[in-house]
Amino acid sequence: MAERVGIVAVAQTKYHPNRCDVNEEELSWEAIKPVLEETGLSLWDIESAVTCSQDFWEGRTISNMNIQHVVGAHLQHEDKVCEDGLNAVYVAMAQILSGHYDVVLVESHMKESQGEKSAIENAAFDPAMLRVLGLDYTSSAAMQAKRYMYKYGITAEQLAKVAVRNHANAKNNPFAQDAKGITLEDVLGSKMVSSPIRALDTKPISDGACAMILANEKTAKKLSKNPIWIMGVSNCYETHYLGDRELADCDALAKAAQKAYKMAGIKNALREIDVAEITTEYSYQEALWLEGLGLCAKGEGGRMVESKAVSMGGKLPLNPSGGVLPGVPNGVAGASRVAEAVLQLRGEAGERQVKGAKTALAHGYTGICGQHQAVMVLGNS
Amino acid sequence: MAKEPEYIIVNIDTPRKYNWSTGKYLGHVYAEAKENKKLVGNKCPKCKAIMWGPTIVCPKCKVETGWEWEELPETGTVTQYTYLVFPLWDPHYGERWANPHPSGTILLENGVYQRHFLEETDPEKLKVGMRVQAVWKEDYDERGLGMQDVPYYRTIEE
Repeated sequence: MAERVGIVAVAQTKYHPNRCDVNEEELSWEAIKPVLEETGLSLWDIESAVTCSQDFWEGRTISNMNIQHVVGAHLQHEDKVCEDGLNAVYVAMAQILSGHYDVVLVESHMKESQGEKSAIENAAFDPAMLRVLGLDYTSSAAMQAKRYMYKYGITAEQLAKVAVRNHANAKNNPFAQDAKGITLEDVLGSKMVSSPIRALDTKPISDGACAMILANEKTAKKLSKNPIWIMGVSNCYETHYLGDRELADCDALAKAAQKAYKMAGIKNALREIDVAEITTEYSYQEALWLEGLGLCAKGEGGRMVESKAVSMGGKLPLNPSGGVLPGVPNGVAGASRVAEAVLQLRGEAGERQVKGAKTALAHGYTGICGQHQAVMVLGNS
Repeated sequence: MAKEPEYIIVNIDTPRKYNWSTGKYLGHVYAEAKENKKLVGNKCPKCKAIMWGPTIVCPKCKVETGWEWEELPETGTVTQYTYLVFPLWDPHYGERWANPHPSGTILLENGVYQRHFLEETDPEKLKVGMRVQAVWKEDYDERGLGMQDVPYYRTIEE
């Protein structure tokens, strides 16, 4: 990139199964206030805001209308992204690179506790071919999991280890919703939701918000002693209809990752990336996404997720925060992955810190079986 | 004569339930209306304006507000209105309300602009500048819907 864009502050709420004590604006403010305080900025200094929320989950049309004041958007620029929060970070970066703005606020929130998950997700499918089948994200993900496991001989035990490791990592994350810790037996013995996905193979309902402030290089250096730079980013969409794509592969993710790596000058992702935070709403996704991200060969994801390489202290610690499986709202997942990557690169990740992390990967996705994928590479030098 | 094309329309009439949390500030409006028959707004510490609806950040001053509350006056002056001639949706239960529904903006004595229904249904009698007063649901058990605990504003002679 000709000009660099820095992330100068990040904040997350603690994720929670039911924040019925706050509405959306109050929840958002819990994440926005700390990033203003950290940078010493006020809402008057925010030149533009990029928000991320989804109408159906918010129970209102144009879901950003009720938070315009808490993002400082009164008589000011604001855009909403209704995909994953990582895309809001992407749009904010583009606004700064366009030269229009020096300082942009990113805010992402969702209260999954307020809606009917399956009914809302079902409405994402086209009305004629798929919605009539009653599909939701879990049942369609289950088909992807089955196809992936069948094609490459991935086992339920391998995937259960994903849930166990992420829940164990969550114990070190003060923002984690569920940090009780689970065993392999817990996962394999948990209730079958949609075969082969069991209850502990997926994440619980969650409420939360994430905010960050981005700035151009000159401003970022003034606002922060250790700004974290966006080195590369990309997103990629693929076809909606299940059956039109080989669900055991993830071409959109592969393409997004390769473009982001190229932009970041990454030639060997596994060697050059020190820590990765990826969005895994179902345990099989961690294995499959690792393949899409080019961090292992096709069909090798099952072996990689049970290897020491992805544990704390391994070659590529994966989701030191515990990721999304212990509970992060769907629309906030990608933004919170970026926030966690930033904490790692600033050396401020506390008990979950990966020592000496210099380059981090953050990933988010939106929709059915990872239809839309987004990848960001961040660095601290 | 050419045959009219037939367009196939699928009726999607699925209700999707939603539980909306009022939150701390708007929740206080619901509580005060229910318990004390008062509409209350919180104050911006900078411009001193009453937030209506109550909120955590003053949109215009872009600062955090706080927990200083003021009761809205019961009376005010209509500054603009419209006479809705189509049936409205009940926002909570999805039923249609019968028309007509005059609704307007009412400038209260403390400078707050209240938006609400007007009791007066005779279009000839609706005027900018007319004086109106809040009418409350008197039965405690009927209250609990926040601003809807005042169903409308009634014309008053002064």
